[in-house]
Amino acid sequence: VYDVRTMFIVYLAMISLGLALMLTVALRHLP
Amino acid sequence: VRRFVRENSLSLFFGLIFIASLVGQSLAGWHQFNATQLAEHLDPVTWAGYVTSSNFAVDVSENWQSEFLQFWLYLTATVWLLQKGSPESKELDNVGLETDKDQKVGYAAMTDSPSWAKTGGWRTALFSSSLAIVMGTIFLLSWLVQSVAGWAAFNESRLQQLQDPLSWGAYLTNADFWARSLQNWQSEFLAVGAMAVLSIYLRQRGSSQSKPVGEPHEATGIEG
Repeated sequence: VYDVRTMFIVYLAMISLGLALMLTVALRHLP
Repeated sequence: VRRFVRENSLSLFFGLIFIASLVGQSLAGWHQFNATQLAEHLDPVTWAGYVTSSNFAVDVSENWQSEFLQFWLYLTATVWLLQKGSPESKELDNVGLETDKDQKVGYAAMTDSPSWAKTGGWRTALFSSSLAIVMGTIFLLSWLVQSVAGWAAFNESRLQQLQDPLSWGAYLTNADFWARSLQNWQSEFLAVGAMAVLSIYLRQRGSSQSKPVGEPHEATGIEG
């Protein structure tokens, strides 16, 4: 069970982190 | 560890080339950005400054949204639409959501089926579309990020040219937003259509995305 769970969690975490970072960056640059 | 790597090699491979490409994009994009800065007699930025800029965020997010849109559309369109002869299509008499028996839900669930496939009701309905819901949500969030980052980047260049900044609503109808979106969409849609059609007559031996080499050209919905 843990074997198939690991990469699922890694990918969801990677995507969420990417979206959160990009949104933070974008909001910081607003005039 | 060796077994983990073998059993997850597909996602590990794509995860690694994703990171490598993103780093490459940040370096090439940084040099490109500084070349433009110099040409306009503006100060160059550091690499850290570039990767935390709205320019880098909009370039990354516009590609993300188009990829997730592509897979979300592919996933949902293949429920209803067919391509005779393609391994990417379902068999011709299987259009739609299929029966509970085919899908192993409710009474037809197996003992080791996921619990939300067994229960019926809203849990089974939600679980039955969970992949499309998550892919669609990532598409919408990436597109939202593109719109905000693109808005910030667009306004920064307008301010440098001593023009008034736009509102977010005005940016959503601006050509910059749609040029960025559509230039990515067109290539995704062409590639998806090409994959569905070229796989009718062409093969890749051993690939899960191809028909077996000896499968007839007319055979639909058979993956190797």
